[in-house]
Amino acid sequence: MTAGGPIADVCLVGVGAIGGILAKELASAGLKVVGLERGPAPRREDYAPRDSIKFIARADRLDWVRHEPTTTRIRSGGKTELRYRTSPLNVLGGALLHWTGQASRYMPGDFKVYTNEIASGVAERAGADLRGYDVVDWPLGYDALEPYYEKFEWEFGVSGRAGVNPFAGPRKRGYPLPPLRRSAKMEIFAEACRKLGYHPYDTPAGILSEPYRPPAPFDSRIAERPACVYCGHCNFYGCHVHAKATTLYTTIPVALETGNFDLRTNCKVCRINVDDAGRTTGVAYFDADGRIQEQRARVVILGAFVFENVRLLLLSKTDAPRFAKGLANSSGLVGKYILAHGDVRAYAAFDDYIVNGFIGPGSAAIRVDDFNGNNFDHAGLGFIRGGTIGTSGDGTPMTRMDVIAPEVRRWGREYKDYVARYYTRTFDLNMQPETLPHKANRVDLDPKRRDAWGLPLPRATFDFHQNEHRLQAFMAQVGEKLMRATGANRVWTGGKERPNRWAGGTRMGADPRRSVVNEFCQSHDVPNLFIVGSSVFPTLAGYPPTATIAALSYRAAEYILRQKEWFA
Amino acid sequence: MKSNDKGDARRTSVFTANEARTLAAVADRIVPPTDTLGAVEMGAVNYIELALAGDYAELLRDYRKGLRAIDKHARGKFGAKFAKLGDTEKDAVLLDFEAGQVPGFKPAANFFETVRCHVLEGVFGEPQYGGNRGMAGWRLVGFPGQQLGYPDAYINKRVDLSPVAAGLPQEEE
Repeated sequence: MTAGGPIADVCLVGVGAIGGILAKELASAGLKVVGLERGPAPRREDYAPRDSIKFIARADRLDWVRHEPTTTRIRSGGKTELRYRTSPLNVLGGALLHWTGQASRYMPGDFKVYTNEIASGVAERAGADLRGYDVVDWPLGYDALEPYYEKFEWEFGVSGRAGVNPFAGPRKRGYPLPPLRRSAKMEIFAEACRKLGYHPYDTPAGILSEPYRPPAPFDSRIAERPACVYCGHCNFYGCHVHAKATTLYTTIPVALETGNFDLRTNCKVCRINVDDAGRTTGVAYFDADGRIQEQRARVVILGAFVFENVRLLLLSKTDAPRFAKGLANSSGLVGKYILAHGDVRAYAAFDDYIVNGFIGPGSAAIRVDDFNGNNFDHAGLGFIRGGTIGTSGDGTPMTRMDVIAPEVRRWGREYKDYVARYYTRTFDLNMQPETLPHKANRVDLDPKRRDAWGLPLPRATFDFHQNEHRLQAFMAQVGEKLMRATGANRVWTGGKERPNRWAGGTRMGADPRRSVVNEFCQSHDVPNLFIVGSSVFPTLAGYPPTATIAALSYRAAEYILRQKEWFA
Repeated sequence: MKSNDKGDARRTSVFTANEARTLAAVADRIVPPTDTLGAVEMGAVNYIELALAGDYAELLRDYRKGLRAIDKHARGKFGAKFAKLGDTEKDAVLLDFEAGQVPGFKPAANFFETVRCHVLEGVFGEPQYGGNRGMAGWRLVGFPGQQLGYPDAYINKRVDLSPVAAGLPQEEE
């Protein structure tokens, strides 16, 4: 192992959404930051082509995806399969490069599920069966995160309209940009929701509706970017005009300009080192040539997605009794209670209405939260929680070739005639039903399979359980009812039946015996180790996690900068 | 091999002539020629051959096994190779594969799904990958291709733009 070199103030493990934000915040304050990113720095021509073979049909063959497989199984003792997941994108800028852009804040109640739904008796009145789950409150509430949500929205440029969604938490400031242009599916769905007495609104989108540069008091060093051109190659594609909110071309260049950010791509961290006092001293990593290197640091921040955060903590176990089960794991909870959304959809096809669903972007969507969280009466329903419901953004024929009414044959003349008529006349609703933390859902190290560096792969054990089954069935019924109200000629429901948008595994909490990190994403056990990202979520919500991940990153940065004695 | 779909003389096939004929016959049942082009004329077989020579190379063995199984099942059921059968008989063979009911060939349903998926990729994918010739697949469904953007939301009206395909990977951005 090559010994160290100078001690960095901060070492970032992963430079995606999280590392990209922390790098700018910390380097701008004068800290010397080293960023280790396991993927390459992509050029525009690597991510910008509007190419559905590359980014949809063959997405699992991208180096950024292929690089780091996980294994997965439904239950202990079940068959384990190798998976190439597109969610932890191994590239500078991470998954923000290809995210859809749904930038919703969580609702205030999403942070207090134990208090609001279990202690209050909602679960009991619902007749929910919560055996096997460990539902807890977050150690912080919406109000504590509100300023950081705002900072994310104004630095990256979120398009939306405040005050329309009655279920949203209070906000001090509106959105920096008006909502994106409305598409046909948005108009139809908004009208159907109004007819039924629900509360449709334009999804807050991490996509610029107008050219934008953050105004004072926000960070005006971030360069101006152009508005969305609605090309529709959005979800899973990089943005060819840079209208999509991505650290790659917003915060990362600013961090580099400070001169304090030493960014090293194609560097894969394999171990977090600790000293006898139980503090981290830095990391070991494989450099671009496959040589093991050491980077010493006063603070180490993991921002490498759910599976990798857990894997690194488990791989970094030592002979010391307190780290025998892995680093930061005195609670035994590292890898436990992983979370992911279900994927429930409702489809509508029209004989006489042209939807043109390929016109983008994906996050130009109408949404209702009347069935999200605890926003509706659960009495007798048999489950708690819910999910947001919005128009979906997948549009090219490559993503739509299997979107056909269930009574239609999947090939042959009938198929051909159907897609010729209905490809432009169909859209769907994407529902994001929440999953509760269940003790059977976890990540550990695969006992057999290893990656290209000889390290055990992370292994996910995950299934939906009774609360999810009931909630997902309910959401499908709601989706069908909403689609019927559009006046569509054919309506059906379905979904991918696989988990989507991962979280959990290093849950946050106030009690070190029942959580891995505190409300600032700081390890209870290793005080100069931070674990940031959706892996700290103790419960999921019915929205995508991105805005909350970003808010937690800004908040962790501010907390770290307050610890002046660490860097003296 | 003898190229059995109109077109690209430069390509070198990964299949024997017989395998290629069987695959083409399957592709044209998945998206048959009607008053518009079928899968073969749209370049789907060309797409699959290029893919199997590249990104999908690890699937070639399964393809060859599967195509042989299709011919074998066709012979057993109707007494002739798949490509020689009439449309109704061809569909009966493919329905058995789709349902996974092919004696002696367990992966039948999987193989059918793979071929169906790849044929549709060859019909609807970007022409630079060898399928969707002349953007025929996009024209079929009314998709205007790799547009830089849409200045109008085209609410309840046909998009009146000519379809666009990026000719080369290093297209200007």
